[in-house]
Parts: sequence; structure tokens; C-alpha cells
Amino acid sequence: MKRKWQGWVALFLALSLVTAGCTPPPPNAGSAGNQTFVYASTADVVGLSPIKTNDSASARAIDQIYETLFVRDPETMDIKPKLARSYENPDPNTWVIHLRKGIQFHDGIPFNAEAVKYTFDKFRDPKTAAPRASLLKPIDKVEVKDPYTVVIRTKKPYGPMLAALAHSNASIVSPIADKKGDLMKKPVGTGPFKFKKWVQGDKLTLEVNENYWDGKPQLKEVEFRVVPEVSTAISLLETGEVHLIDTLRPENLDRLKNSNKVNVKTKEGTPVTYLGFNMKKGPGKDSDFRRAVAHAINQEELVDALKGVAHPSKGIIGPKVFGYNPEIEKAGYDYDVKKAKDLFNKAGMDGKSVTIMTANTKNYPKLAELVQGQLAKAGLKADIQTLEFGAYLDRNRKGDFEMVIGGWTNSTADGSELLYPQLHSDNIGATNGTQTSIPEADKRINQSRTTTDKEKRLKVLHEANKLLVKEAPWVPLCHDFIVTATTKNVQGLEVDATGQWTLKNVSLK
Amino acid sequence: MANLIVRRLLQLIPLLLGISFIVFISLHLAPGDPASMIGGPTATKEDLASIREDLGLNDSLFTQYLRYIGGVLQGDLGYSYQTQQSVTEAIMIRFPNTFNLSVASIIVATVIGVGAGIISAIKQNTSLDVLSTVGALAGISIPNFWLGSMLILLFAVYWQWFPVAGITSPPWTMQGIKELALPAITLGTGSAALIARMTRSAVLEVIRQDYIRTARAKGVREKNVILLHCMRNAMIPVITVIGLNFGFLLGGTIITEQVFAINGVGRLLIQAIAARDYTMVQGAVLLIATLFVLVNLLVDILYALVDPRIRYE
Repeated sequence: MKRKWQGWVALFLALSLVTAGCTPPPPNAGSAGNQTFVYASTADVVGLSPIKTNDSASARAIDQIYETLFVRDPETMDIKPKLARSYENPDPNTWVIHLRKGIQFHDGIPFNAEAVKYTFDKFRDPKTAAPRASLLKPIDKVEVKDPYTVVIRTKKPYGPMLAALAHSNASIVSPIADKKGDLMKKPVGTGPFKFKKWVQGDKLTLEVNENYWDGKPQLKEVEFRVVPEVSTAISLLETGEVHLIDTLRPENLDRLKNSNKVNVKTKEGTPVTYLGFNMKKGPGKDSDFRRAVAHAINQEELVDALKGVAHPSKGIIGPKVFGYNPEIEKAGYDYDVKKAKDLFNKAGMDGKSVTIMTANTKNYPKLAELVQGQLAKAGLKADIQTLEFGAYLDRNRKGDFEMVIGGWTNSTADGSELLYPQLHSDNIGATNGTQTSIPEADKRINQSRTTTDKEKRLKVLHEANKLLVKEAPWVPLCHDFIVTATTKNVQGLEVDATGQWTLKNVSLK
Repeated sequence: MANLIVRRLLQLIPLLLGISFIVFISLHLAPGDPASMIGGPTATKEDLASIREDLGLNDSLFTQYLRYIGGVLQGDLGYSYQTQQSVTEAIMIRFPNTFNLSVASIIVATVIGVGAGIISAIKQNTSLDVLSTVGALAGISIPNFWLGSMLILLFAVYWQWFPVAGITSPPWTMQGIKELALPAITLGTGSAALIARMTRSAVLEVIRQDYIRTARAKGVREKNVILLHCMRNAMIPVITVIGLNFGFLLGGTIITEQVFAINGVGRLLIQAIAARDYTMVQGAVLLIATLFVLVNLLVDILYALVDPRIRYE
């Protein structure tokens, strides 16, 4: 009997040795110029055309393959030229953009004004059905003045123009490649990495653009690997099989921070999470009720519970978004349970209950429970209705809820592009789920969009922010931190406040 | 036998038509629509209108269904609303992974399940029987999500014997076997428990029959009594359970595919449902239904092979 057991143990040990010997080494660790960088994405890329996609997984890949005319500085968030060299506004409706010379698309076609015109015309054509067409809707005409000068004319002055042109979706595509093939599958841009292979649902591989105009990147290849489960992605990070993950929840942070193989970086970001009211029906119509809720919300407690993935601000436009003024922190409602109770009484909500709708994504379910607890302290019973994201989006568009917990990523980092889609009456029935229609706020939002004067835009956006915080169609719950986790050997990764990053300067030590 | 196969295959046609209709209607009844998911939260009314027009969603439901089914009858499952990829191509990329995982899991489940079931039956009411029964209960009770995560932490992160996730190599290579090992164990454990319970009760039922006593009285070795005389009769319900489980596994194993980042049909289906990608959902469901029918047909054929008394006239 003893012999039999010894035999089993020997077999087990032998198998262990065989399997251990066969485990492949983690990718890369090669010398500079021969390194493969692996990013684990929780969602697969939908497609690789900036014109036809509007999801963050696609945008991450698009940011490496294509380039925009302007970009944001990851630290200061100021907009600076990229494929553009400079620009001027001879009048508020005209943008004359001078382009860089000597840049080629990955297919060898020169980048020029024709390419810019082609991209923007295609983007704006209703037949293209670009999901983010609204970004460039204010453009009336794009003209080629000479091979390296493009003139963009708008119907009305368009304040957020540079922010729109710096958006991933406004990346410039190769006209020849677009006409010949399908950019969704075979993208051709001017960026530091070019397309190599894509197994949908599994892995996208990019390779270095040897002729990149702004200095050859140090990485040889970049892989976007689909890993839907965050805990699995963390395991891959710990074994060195991936180098970067960026979709992290508070519950993941303890494991990551305790790991000696991983660097976790956080920075204040542009995304905002809010508690919104249906302004057309139900208790949210009553300003006393909204103020009561605003007084009942303890933002500090919410931020603490999110363990460092969020930061507080009373503003709807938060600290990292253009249009923020620190004065807004004095304008919000203080946490005051007594005031909240009094106002609930005044609004006739004493002993009544409300329903909070939210989606089963991000930190929304957790925040919904915390908000439920805080409202209960002020005497308001709230039921939570957590929906799958598609159903949530549908009901949100229709305004089919009493209260809602949602968010806005602010990927342009411009206040106008937050307030206009979300809280301007033009967008009721679409992006303005709370059906907010406050004429004074509409007026200021319009002003912020129809002037190109930066100082004036800052002023009116702050006024709109103050007005909206006071009227409280939204009570800001928190503003996100952008959290990234990398292996310790990753160097040169720059992440901006919208969560956007480029691997151009990244290397593996 | 040939009649049975032809009849079953012919039955597939109305079945698939019925399924496609039910799936089509239920998808359109569910809240949310593909345009809204493609446009995302930022889409304006105009953006959504353009996308709807582009996808043909403004046509009547009847027209949309006829258009779809017309394509299917010509062997064209259409294009994904979300990624614009051919549905057939999307499924064919993923199906080998799901198939390999299902085969590996059913092997794990059968070896463990039948083995444990036989031991448990012939050692009835001993500590081995109790161990096997408790093991089966644990196997059914432990959620795949938890088991998968634990196996990863232990065998892939701590000991690094196996890769953490993904399938990159063919299943007949050492690397392929290693990649399939943890997900197959995760997935096979639940099925193994069911098979073990079924095997135990089937063997217990047969082992008390007269012909087994006769075999023993004749002096046939116990091993042969169990494997040749007893198992042959006990296998019919066990094959049914294995076949049903295999059918379910082929339909996609969403949680295991999710945890181990396996690019399979289950994950494709769940993503397509979340994105309201109607054509993709319909294509995947039709494939799963077809496979389920085929696996059941295979099980019926196996019955006849295992038990010559079964005849399909």
C-alpha cells in the first residue's frame, strides 16, 4: 500500500516538473526596441475606425494607431498642436489650421489637408452614421486652402472646437485606405504603432511604425489582450504576462497595493458620478425635495467608501474639466441632515419613498447603496433598481425614472461638452436623461459654446456650473480618480485626466 | 438508424425556424436597442436616427425578420450590428475554443464522475462512499467563478505551473493542454458531481440484479463483473447525463470563459446580448440549438451501440 502511495507522489512530482518546465516566460523583458507591451482590456475593441466607433476599448487602440490635429497635455490638460502646426481664427467662424509637413500614413500616403477634409467630411456625412457625429456637427464646411492648410468654417462660433479636434474620434484617417478597405478591421493612421493582426474577442497586435515622424517608439509590439475579469487581469499583471490594466474598482486596490510586483498610480480625473432627478415628473420637480437630497448627501463619506478611486467636489464641472472654478466649492449644499429632514417635510415627502435607478456597471451599485443609507438617515426611504446597462440607457434616454445614479466620462475635458449634452434642453429625449430645462443655464451653456474667447468661456461655464449646482438637477456624488496598475518595469507611461494614454514613450526596464 | 438520423435532421428545420422567430421577437421586446448601444451615452437624437437608418431598424419588424431569415436560408447569418464583422466568421473564430474546452471538461467530468460513482457504489456505506458523496455535493455547490479564481491564484500565480488565462496553442500540444487544464477542471467539476451521483445510483441498481450474482458465482473476477457486466447496463442513464452536459457545455460556458479569458461562444453571446447585437445573438443561438440537437442525436446512437437491445426501427 505504502509503495502505491509513493508511486502516486512520484508521478505527481514528475508531472509538476514537466509542467513547470513548460511554462513559457512572460512576454518581453527583451532589450529596448525588441519589447512587447501587453495591455489587458476588460472589453474587446469594437472596431478600429475612429469614425465608426464610440467605445473606450476601441479608443485606447485608436489612440496608438491614429493621431488628431490637437492633443491635450497629460499634465496641464492644455490643448496643443499635434498633426497641426499652428492655427488662427481670422474671425470667430473660421479656423485656419496649418498642418505639419513630411508625415506619412502607415500605407505611405502623405498626410495633408486633403486627408483632413476627407476625414471630417466623412465623419459628418449622415450616411456614414458615425456614432459620435455630434462632435463635429457645428462644422459647416472644410476647405483645402493649400496642401498643408485646412480651413474649417462653422455656422456659429464653436467654443469647444479644439477640444473636439483633440478627441480620439476626430483622428485623421488615410483616405486611400478608407476607400479601398474597411478601417474597422484594417486601420491606417499616422500614429506610433501600426496594425499587425486582430483576432476578434481575443487579441489585437500592433507593431512599431518605423517611420514615425516624432521619434521611433521603443516598443516593438503592443498587444491588446481581452481579459473580461478584472481579478484575472490582476493575476496576469502579477505574473508579468500583462503590463498595464486600467479598469479597476475599489475592491481590487488592496490586492494590488499589497503586491510587490505592481505599481498603482492614481490621478484626479474628469469623470463625474451624480445622483440625478427626473425634473419633469415625480418628486424631483420640487426644488425643496432636490435641495433636501443635496443636504442629505455626505460626499466625504462616499469618497472614503470608494477607497481612493474618487475625489470630492461640489461642482458638476469638476476640478479637471475646463470651466471649473474653485469658488464652486462654496456654492454647493453642505451636508446637514436636519436641514434635509426639514426640507423633506416641506416637500411633503415625509414617510414617502422614492426609487433610484442605476446601472450594474462601474461603482454605481455600491454608490446607490451608500446613498440609500444616507437618505434613510434624513428620513427618506429609497428603493434601488439596478438595471443592465442597455436597459438603463434606454430608460435614461426616455426619462423613465424618479431618481438616477449615472456618470459622464468627459472625454473632451471641456465643460461645454458636459453641460450641453447632459443638462441643456436641446438634448431632452437623448443625452439629457433628467430632462433638465433651465433657461438661465441653457443661455450660459449656449454662450460657452458660441464664443472662442477662452476667458469668457471659463466665466460663463462657471456661472452655469453655479446655477446648476444651486438648482440641483444633479447632485454630484464624486469625481473619479484615474487608476492605472502596471508592472514595475514599465517606464514612460503618461495618462491624462480623461484616462487616455499613449505608449509612444513607454519602455520596459 | 439511418431513418432516425434523417428524421432528426429534418426536425431541425422547423425547430430552428421557431427558435429564430422566438429569439427575434424576444430581442425586440427587451428594452434598449442596437443603435443606442453603438452610439453610447453620448449619442444625440440625430446620431441615433442615422445609425437606425443605417442598420435598417426603421423597417417594420416583419420586414426585418423576413430579410434576416431570407439570408439564413441562403446560408448567410448576416453581419454584426456592433462590429460589422460577419456573424459566421465571428462564431467560427470562437467555436474551436468552446469545443476544445467542452471536450476537455467532459473528459475531466467523465473520468472523475464515473470513477467516483463506481467506487462509491461498490464501497457503499463506507468512508469512501461518504467522501465521494460529499465531494459530489461540493462539486455541485462550488460556483465556477470562485473555483476558477482559486485555481488561478494557486496554480498559476503562486506555483506558476499553468498559465493564468487564455488559449493560444492547439489542444494536442503540451502548452495547449496546460492552457485547458484549469478551465477544464473548473468546468468539469460540476458535471463530474452530477455524473458521479448518476453512476452511483445506476450501478447500485444493476449490481443487485440476478445476472451479476450469477457472474460472481461463476467466478468472474470482480473487476470484470463491474466493468463488463454491470457498467454496460448502468451506462445508459450515465450516457444521457454526459450527453446533456456536453450539449450544455457546447452552448458556451460563460463564467469559465469569462474568468479564464477564453474567446468562446458563450462570451460572444453574452457580449452580443449586452450590445443588443441582434444578428450576432440570433446566429449564436441557432448554432447552439443545432449543436444541442446533434449531440442528443449522437447520444441516441450511442445508446444503440452500448445496448444492442435498443433498436431504432
